[in-house]
Amino acid sequence: MTILKALIRIVTDKRVVLLFRLVLGVTFIYASLDKIAHPEQFARIVYNYKILPQFLINIFAVTLPWVEFIAGLFLILGIFTESASLLVCFLFIIFIIATSINLFQGVDLNCGCFSTDPVGKKEGANLLIKDFIFLYLGIMVIFFNKNFATLSALFQKKSLPKR
Amino acid sequence: MPMLTQLKLFHGILRTDILLKTLGIILIGSAIGLTYNALSPGGIALKGNWSPKINSDSLVVPYGYEEGIDPPAVNLDYAMMKFQSKNTVFLDSRYPEDFKVGHIEGAINLPYEEFEEHAPLVLPKLPKDEEIITYCDGTECETSLVLARELLELGYKDVKVFFGGWQEWQKAGLSVETDN
Repeated sequence: MTILKALIRIVTDKRVVLLFRLVLGVTFIYASLDKIAHPEQFARIVYNYKILPQFLINIFAVTLPWVEFIAGLFLILGIFTESASLLVCFLFIIFIIATSINLFQGVDLNCGCFSTDPVGKKEGANLLIKDFIFLYLGIMVIFFNKNFATLSALFQKKSLPKR
Repeated sequence: MPMLTQLKLFHGILRTDILLKTLGIILIGSAIGLTYNALSPGGIALKGNWSPKINSDSLVVPYGYEEGIDPPAVNLDYAMMKFQSKNTVFLDSRYPEDFKVGHIEGAINLPYEEFEEHAPLVLPKLPKDEEIITYCDGTECETSLVLARELLELGYKDVKVFFGGWQEWQKAGLSVETDN
């Protein structure tokens, strides 16, 4: 029981949560760059998922990477931290649903997560595990970031009246 | 008590301002994305068609296939004829585990995903002027096409793609084999 308590204390510690926040931010920016550079390949991957209707595929493919980029940037800098991590969690839930649907249908797809190589590695279950870990990090950031080492906190301090 | 804290936390996250900021991030990101796409030379049309298309020989080919530039596409009849004549090499570009379950009889596995690994074992045995037909699962996969492009670049002169692939071959009840 004490071990569990200690573990909870560690994963909710503001410095550990800061680390989670940075990991998520860097991951999101890294994941977005290749998609931004190769919109056509990314659109093909979105098509392969066979979830979105045709007319939405390209619009989604050009907007999602930038939403990821902004969310990642805000997480790293600590701007609207709760909102950025809420968005990140929402995106991971969508990724988990999309990957599961295709995994159970047995479709051989490219996850399009980090690379837009049209024939990337068969990821499947590994990908789901990764998504769940990231979702967990995002949830921890939403609830326990405590506005620690964020740009918002810096501005709030500055705007406080001097004694 | 801990339950109450969690409830408070949950209530805290559903505050309107947090949700509005989340929506704001989506809108800012989307606006930048659309603008960047419009200005970037690599931008794509906002409305695209990604379904397989029909080429001039009435064959179903992937969206990215470029007639005249890419290796020629062949149909089931042609593949069957070449299979019977026995002087054409069939290269299966699917994963080894799929290949093992079943493939065109006599085909050689050269998974595009693991090209670097498998190519040194397969390619030295293939003369550059030999007729090669690549295939993967069916019209929804592209590894047969990318493998064929790669072979052309490596100097193979007679490379063709059978887009119907394993699905069409199997449906036609033609000779298959499994590796155990």
